[in-house]
Amino acid sequence: MAPVEALASAPLVQIARSLSRRQASPVELADTYTRRIEAAVGLRAYITLPGERARREAKRAERRLSRGEIGTLLGVPIAVKDLFATRAQRTTVGSRLLRDWVPSRDADAVARLRAAGAIVFGKTNLHEFAYGVSTANPWWGVARNPHDPRRSPGGSSGGSAIAVVAGLCAGALGSDTGGSIRVPASLCGCVGLKPTFGAIPLGGTFPLGWSLDHAGPLTRTVDDAGLLLDVLSGGDAGRRARRASTRGLRVGVLQGPIVQNVQPGVARQVDAAAAALRRRGLRVRDVQIPEMEWTVATQLVTLRAEASALHARWIRSRPSAYGADVRARLQLGALVGGADYVLAQRMRDRIRAAMSRVFREIDILLLPTTPITAPVVGERTVRWRSGEEPVDGALVRLTAPFNLTGLPALSVPFGAAAGLPVGVQVVGQWNDEARVLAVGRLIEEEAPP
Amino acid sequence: MPVTERERLAAAGRAAGLRLSADDVAALLPAWKRYLALVEQLRAAAAPEDADGAG
Repeated sequence: MAPVEALASAPLVQIARSLSRRQASPVELADTYTRRIEAAVGLRAYITLPGERARREAKRAERRLSRGEIGTLLGVPIAVKDLFATRAQRTTVGSRLLRDWVPSRDADAVARLRAAGAIVFGKTNLHEFAYGVSTANPWWGVARNPHDPRRSPGGSSGGSAIAVVAGLCAGALGSDTGGSIRVPASLCGCVGLKPTFGAIPLGGTFPLGWSLDHAGPLTRTVDDAGLLLDVLSGGDAGRRARRASTRGLRVGVLQGPIVQNVQPGVARQVDAAAAALRRRGLRVRDVQIPEMEWTVATQLVTLRAEASALHARWIRSRPSAYGADVRARLQLGALVGGADYVLAQRMRDRIRAAMSRVFREIDILLLPTTPITAPVVGERTVRWRSGEEPVDGALVRLTAPFNLTGLPALSVPFGAAAGLPVGVQVVGQWNDEARVLAVGRLIEEEAPP
Repeated sequence: MPVTERERLAAAGRAAGLRLSADDVAALLPAWKRYLALVEQLRAAAAPEDADGAG
């Protein structure tokens, strides 16, 4: 294998280092990814391919590197979910309604990537308007899981997760309103980080639910996620995580009704991750947060109302311009009463207070990212002993609580169940991404091959 | 006066300015019922605290 072929699948940190030392060419790297994207077009990872624009950026990066310029991500190809505005480049938000939208400025997150020298390497597929977790997009194609194309990659940042796992970019940018970074990371087998609410600015990012939206990276390793977090947030949590001590940290493994329905193979991997942390000197015990039983209803009411407020005009004037599932969600949202929304926000305060209490006794909360592995495309329900659950509801059951509360949450691949990736979720206190990433690194080190 | 859940949903849709066909209403009905059940859970969970603050 040519060196650039191997490098293209390496961690982003290694790619950035090789480029800065001029051991690899950004143009050759970009060409390698482009060839791979062409070969993997059936996965429907991209809405807009990197194309000539990205190649020009790679040539520019090569000239800058040859002049001795430095930049954290100089020449590194980063795929961007197609709801982040990109200047003079189509941004569809996965919709038909915005298929011709060409923004006049970059989203804040994209501007920060560019300022660090990154190449915007195409715009990735997503669930229409990010309002769903399958990335079965009616306008831009049904995205497929790289581990098994019969299965869903999850969503809504499905294209970003596919691009990372299939080696079609060095890292990717996603957004997460109920689990849209962590769910596809879990189902496809990469790292996904939803930082603390507000840590990454959302200017120029097409909203879904204003009080729930977060931006964050999808990457091949935890250190990669830390590096991108530092660039995107302007902080240093990623750097601090690499030298943070984890010995003696208090880890709570979530128990209770919300984690009762989890596939046995997934539960086994979470138990194994907890055991590994205990071996590495962390203090691990079980915790319960009874208020989490309200999170499904609270998230549903909040998101339905916020998304429908945003789409209020279009869902009334052009309902047929939406795909069937998103149209139904938006129509139902238009029926949410003001009193119900207020009620949900009161419950949200209680959930937040409960989490705050629990985090006085623990430093890290550990739970599955998703209770199931990747479902078959089109599968609608999961059968449990206690009854059926809609697949989309099951996929966000364990991620949405941390959108409601704004706590930082990281999904790290840990082993497999029936040959499909399993994600373990590491949650920390507000603004404590450094410890979340540090514990994520341990889990990554201990993961079965 | 709407009497069935389907009629109530159709009426709520009209009041909200949505263009819902009979097929739309039929397709939305199961999700609408799930939504109402979840909201009922929230109301029940919030009730004790409301009573504390009464008066």
